[in-house]
Amino acid sequence: MSLFSFMGTLEIGFIFGLVAIGVYLTFRVLDFPDLTVDGSFTLGAAIAAALIISGVNPYLATLCAVFGGAAAGLVTAWLNLRFNILHLLASILTMTALYTINLRVMGKPNLALITEPTVLSPFESLGIPNMYLKVIFVGLVVLAVGLLIAWFLNTQYGMAMRATGANPRMAQANGIVVNQKIYAGLALSNALVAMAGALFAQTNGFADSTMGIGTIVVGLAAVIVGESLLNSRSMLIIVLGCIIGSLLYRLAIALALNADFIGFTTSDLNLITAVLVGLALILPQLRREWKARKAAKGDAA
Amino acid sequence: MIRCEQIKVTFNPGMATEKRALRGVDLTIPQGEFVTVIGSNGAGKSTLLNTIAGDIRCSSGKLSFDDRDVTGLSAAARTADVARVFQDPLAGTCGQMTIEENMALAYGRGKRGGLKLALNERLRKLFREQLARLNLGLEDRLDAQMGLLSGGQRQSVSLLMSALQPSKILLLDEHTAALDPKTAALVMEITDQIVAEKQLTVLMVTHSMRQALDHGTRTIMMHEGQVAFDLAGEERSNYGVKDLLNLFAQIRPDGEELDDDKLLLGA
Repeated sequence: MSLFSFMGTLEIGFIFGLVAIGVYLTFRVLDFPDLTVDGSFTLGAAIAAALIISGVNPYLATLCAVFGGAAAGLVTAWLNLRFNILHLLASILTMTALYTINLRVMGKPNLALITEPTVLSPFESLGIPNMYLKVIFVGLVVLAVGLLIAWFLNTQYGMAMRATGANPRMAQANGIVVNQKIYAGLALSNALVAMAGALFAQTNGFADSTMGIGTIVVGLAAVIVGESLLNSRSMLIIVLGCIIGSLLYRLAIALALNADFIGFTTSDLNLITAVLVGLALILPQLRREWKARKAAKGDAA
Repeated sequence: MIRCEQIKVTFNPGMATEKRALRGVDLTIPQGEFVTVIGSNGAGKSTLLNTIAGDIRCSSGKLSFDDRDVTGLSAAARTADVARVFQDPLAGTCGQMTIEENMALAYGRGKRGGLKLALNERLRKLFREQLARLNLGLEDRLDAQMGLLSGGQRQSVSLLMSALQPSKILLLDEHTAALDPKTAALVMEITDQIVAEKQLTVLMVTHSMRQALDHGTRTIMMHEGQVAFDLAGEERSNYGVKDLLNLFAQIRPDGEELDDDKLLLGA
């Protein structure tokens, strides 16, 4: 793998670290499987790209993308909490609606940002080569967000959110308004994912209406890789695990695609991802079954 | 003080599965009274507790704490006054979180959760002191995952958690029913300690007649969604399990057999 593609891999790995943290918040903290992210990733990219092209400051554009993502999360939460639509289905509805909304936001299926200013523009005068600058910038932003989220999950509010997902009845008996925590959690999660989309559009120079497909699986893969490597109860380690998981996942994919003797091409990416995530989910289960069988044998002997 | 006035609760009104769970309950419990609640399955004991806690809304009637009308308040809003311990040891605590995190959650009961760190050294010290009362060695395992504790340990911690914040009312829904007799006795001992210490108004649902008479200061029996009888003071102290069973037979004039073994045999 060339240095250039290695740096590109790190950069995307960091950006999807944000997605992984968002997915961790919904799937693990709130126990709310949320597929909205496939739409909100693109939404973030679309809002940022459209605003930047129309002359808005890139930082302001990114902020708007973050709020757009939060709004998408709120819609999913509303469909689920107000109308009792199954969480999975509610998120699929929002995701489907977002596909059209994203096209409307962009005005066409694809927007190029190559010549536009981005969040990186203020730092270009520092003289750091662009390929390093991108990784350093994205890495620092994602680490800062990660630290912030880890801190948040240890606050009274964040702990109440964790209790909401782990045991809603107990949470309620302790005065926690569970619905409010679910709204907040989905908004936060999708805001992070939209931020990832906005950063992705700016570092890669485009926004595309189909760029969000499979975001959820990639995010989940990163969460699972992180969890299986760092088994901890500490919020800081878990959140950092999401970022590390995302980086490792990207590196594994890049290596698989680069290994000529296997013969994979970029179009095989989704199958590789699905197989990797599938394995990560299947192996712990098989290990449990294997252990149980061993224990049963031990008892019989 | 808890005052129930003509509280009615109907599940699935107007449907074939309509169930009138509470049919006009009138009950006044003065501050500091410990009431035990007995009754057969489906009598409305748990519904009464859940209605006071706010999990179930009354179809009609009025509920007040200390002459404040709380009928319209949500369960979460009532937690400033009400603490609860559930029957299922798994229900009252978060298995995925640590002991100290669970206690921090209970410590925040009735307050607005803000963006301050939920745990600090001062709280850890308080939690350690409280856990030491249980004599279970849990004070040295603050960061152990709750899910690793036994049912009895979890129920004991639940009790401590219910007393971390000053509250006026404690609702116990068969909180020893899922425990072995020895652990149940320990949990009841801690219950009596906490109630005496904090001067709480308590409603305890129990399946055991013995427990209903041995603990608390007043016993009520629920039957078909109403308070069938109400025992207190000297009359109650002269009652034995046999007398309770006789009373039970009287309110079932159709000669219906008492089919609930737990009610009869409960230790």
